[in-house]
Amino acid sequence: MLRPEVLQEFMSIVGSDRCKTAKEDLLTYAYDAYICEFLPDAVLFPKSREEVSEIMQTASANDVFVTPRGAGSGLGGAALAKRGGVVLCFTMMNRILEISPANRYAIVEPGVVIAEFQKEVETLGLFYPPDPGSAAVATMGGAVAMNAGGMRGVKYGVTRDYLLGLEIVLPTGAVMKTGTVTTKDVTGYDLTRLICGSEGTLAVVTKITVRLLPKPRTKRTLQAVYDAIDQAGTTVSKIIESGIVPATLELMDKTIIKALEDSAHLGLPRDAEAVLLMDVDGDPETVEKQAATVAGFCREQGAREVRVSASEKENERLWAARRSAFGAVARMRPNCLIEDATVPVSYLTSAIKRVIEIAERNNVLIAVLAHAGDGNLHPLILCDRRDNEEMQRVEKSMDEIVDYALSVGGTLSGEHGIGISKSKYLSKQLSQTSLDVMRGVKKLFDPRGILNPGSFLEDREL
Amino acid sequence: MIFEQLKEEVHKCIKCGLCMNACPVYKQLYFEGASPRGKVQLIRKVLEAQLEPSEHFRDLLFTCLLCENCSVNCPSGLKVDRLMKAMRAELEQKLGLGWQKRMVFHLLRSSRLLPFAMFWGRIFGPTLLSFFAKEGKVGTIPYDRIPRINPVPLIKQYSETILPDKRKIGRVVYFTGCATNYLFENVGHSAIAVLRRLGVEVILPKGQMCCGLPIFLSGARKMALDNIRHNLQILDVEKVDAVVVDCATCGAALKKEYIHILEEMGEDTEAAKAVAEKVLDISQYLLRFDLAKYLGPVRNRVTYHDPCHLIRSQAVKAEPRSLLKLIPGLEFIEMAGADTCCGGGGTFQWEHPEVASGITNNKIRAIEETQASVVASGCPGCRLQICGNLESESIGVAHPVELLAKSMNLVIARRKLR
Repeated sequence: MLRPEVLQEFMSIVGSDRCKTAKEDLLTYAYDAYICEFLPDAVLFPKSREEVSEIMQTASANDVFVTPRGAGSGLGGAALAKRGGVVLCFTMMNRILEISPANRYAIVEPGVVIAEFQKEVETLGLFYPPDPGSAAVATMGGAVAMNAGGMRGVKYGVTRDYLLGLEIVLPTGAVMKTGTVTTKDVTGYDLTRLICGSEGTLAVVTKITVRLLPKPRTKRTLQAVYDAIDQAGTTVSKIIESGIVPATLELMDKTIIKALEDSAHLGLPRDAEAVLLMDVDGDPETVEKQAATVAGFCREQGAREVRVSASEKENERLWAARRSAFGAVARMRPNCLIEDATVPVSYLTSAIKRVIEIAERNNVLIAVLAHAGDGNLHPLILCDRRDNEEMQRVEKSMDEIVDYALSVGGTLSGEHGIGISKSKYLSKQLSQTSLDVMRGVKKLFDPRGILNPGSFLEDREL
Repeated sequence: MIFEQLKEEVHKCIKCGLCMNACPVYKQLYFEGASPRGKVQLIRKVLEAQLEPSEHFRDLLFTCLLCENCSVNCPSGLKVDRLMKAMRAELEQKLGLGWQKRMVFHLLRSSRLLPFAMFWGRIFGPTLLSFFAKEGKVGTIPYDRIPRINPVPLIKQYSETILPDKRKIGRVVYFTGCATNYLFENVGHSAIAVLRRLGVEVILPKGQMCCGLPIFLSGARKMALDNIRHNLQILDVEKVDAVVVDCATCGAALKKEYIHILEEMGEDTEAAKAVAEKVLDISQYLLRFDLAKYLGPVRNRVTYHDPCHLIRSQAVKAEPRSLLKLIPGLEFIEMAGADTCCGGGGTFQWEHPEVASGITNNKIRAIEETQASVVASGCPGCRLQICGNLESESIGVAHPVELLAKSMNLVIARRKLR
């Protein structure tokens, strides 16, 4: 529990409005989009670097645990106060500080919502590509902490690829800058990219500088429907081998197709095994050619139906299926766990088949979405967390999916992070030496261990 | 106790957070307790007996416009708004209502007191309003922007059966709601005149009462039960094409809320379902006619604001726009975020003026950007809120049916359109 005099100190930093301690308020900061809950002792909403620094100083001096949090849309419990203490919530520190079209960078505070930032830069003809599925709610700070990916990863990479620099506050309260605003920078260790994906265990981010691209002039969407998942898989390989890099390359399996037809009636054939949705973007002439080539690949591989959009509006119509997919599936059962094990892209088809086999064998309902272009699977595990026996089968399935991904040289987590949902698997992928080095880094940044305790680096059972 | 089937709803929330982006209130306050996801969590905790239904819980639950945008955007299809409405009812039983709401609701549920209050309200309005006001404003709306009460209630100005101007080709029951009856009589005159011109006989039941929505959405369901039963009875008229409503809120009550409430209270829903089937927003009904031949030019630029109770509660989106687009000379411009709540939310703007102001300012900005001179909207609540907050005197707010009446050259405006 927080000592009253410490709480008083926090309150004097941010004011009583931005320091919440009522049980009702704490209960609403006990969750993220994962299924575990941990009650914090207080929630603080800083609005400036100075406030963050003072909060960290006070926390350090009194050994108070601090867990940074953005919108709380994470899927692994990374932003939960697993050992109590304060949640440092950045949703109110949300200004876009600068957009520089001349130098193609922007500086934002961590609470800025990704989609709102994207909209803003696009009005200036610029483009910020990383778009995690939660972009409409997730914050830039959260995306940095988790190195969020998204559908455009196949062509444009992930959050890490767009970071130029950060302003961070160390657990002691010291403020530090990393990186610069230039694209090239080899001065010293690349701490920017170390902080990115550190899940709030090393420092608290208070300012983010990102690189921007010119907005692609045009975009075409293609939809291909297949009778067999292998056909979809070979299409993906064909596209990638050909040298065409689609902006997105999404796959939906039969469970998703059925769920979509049950709820949204988008006109997909109910007996189809897989649907691929692809975007090609760039200059109109190139896009035109690429769309035709990709459509050709789809047909060659036996797609029973290929649609190529002719306008922005039709792009949207074709995307409606993918956008509704999560919702259509999520309403099948009370809970939905979103797996994100990732395999080398040539293993995609076998991985999907394996997931389907694992689901059937363990009698667990799993629908498979995949960012097919980069081998990032999204098995959506549908369950009811109130049913212990079912949850055991779910866990067994997850174990098996992870084992398979690792066995073919993949990774535990492509874009959601480890948090608490996957911490038990960590040693399967990382060697003891690797873990030791990471813990050494953690010790250097946070010697008292007050930042995001109970995070992925601690192998103790919670 | 909360309806069994609704209880299961809380377990369907997967906490994805997509509702937060859809919630205008969260986007002003930026803390979870103000978001739909946060409220669902708290309701779950109350249902699981892990949280006492406290005053603070009630405050959070009422920090909500009930705009229903969360329900529409929930990937899991959670009926967030129904859950919150049901919990409000629960809280009213445990914690009661504030005196101001009690007073107003007693008026709204009485067929004798309300006309009486409205009569004296016209004379002593400002004094009465001072009970609710701070610094010259009721919530976010300045005194002088609140329209004066109709000199004579609309219903008293007509007979119960209003014959059409020409050969009868239709027959409707017209539910005016309190706003048209007591505040915006011009909407009622326009609706009646347009219907008559088209050859529609209008039945205007004298005994109609407040739809009860402000009462039951505050949680006082039992208090609203008499209104509901009474209205269902008088709206049950034989051989009519439709029960026509010109108020988005009354429409939502008649078309949807009555059934939900009666169902959740374990009452019979037959009558409510029968009426609901016949209820149409006036824009829906009017589109059945070949309007074009009646319409003359109106030189104006108009934009349209979607009332929550029309677009989400009743899924009426295209019809009012179609009506406006039919009017020759009237230039229609879509505003950005037309379907976003105006910030009024019934008593919300009075209970949370700062939050409401932020939301309303966004709406006003979107309106001004269209450079329209008229905002059309079929909801008196939105009208009050938008009208009360427009800086520019050169922009008016009107019901689509008023513009239609103007286009038909039916001169009926007794007061300035605003």
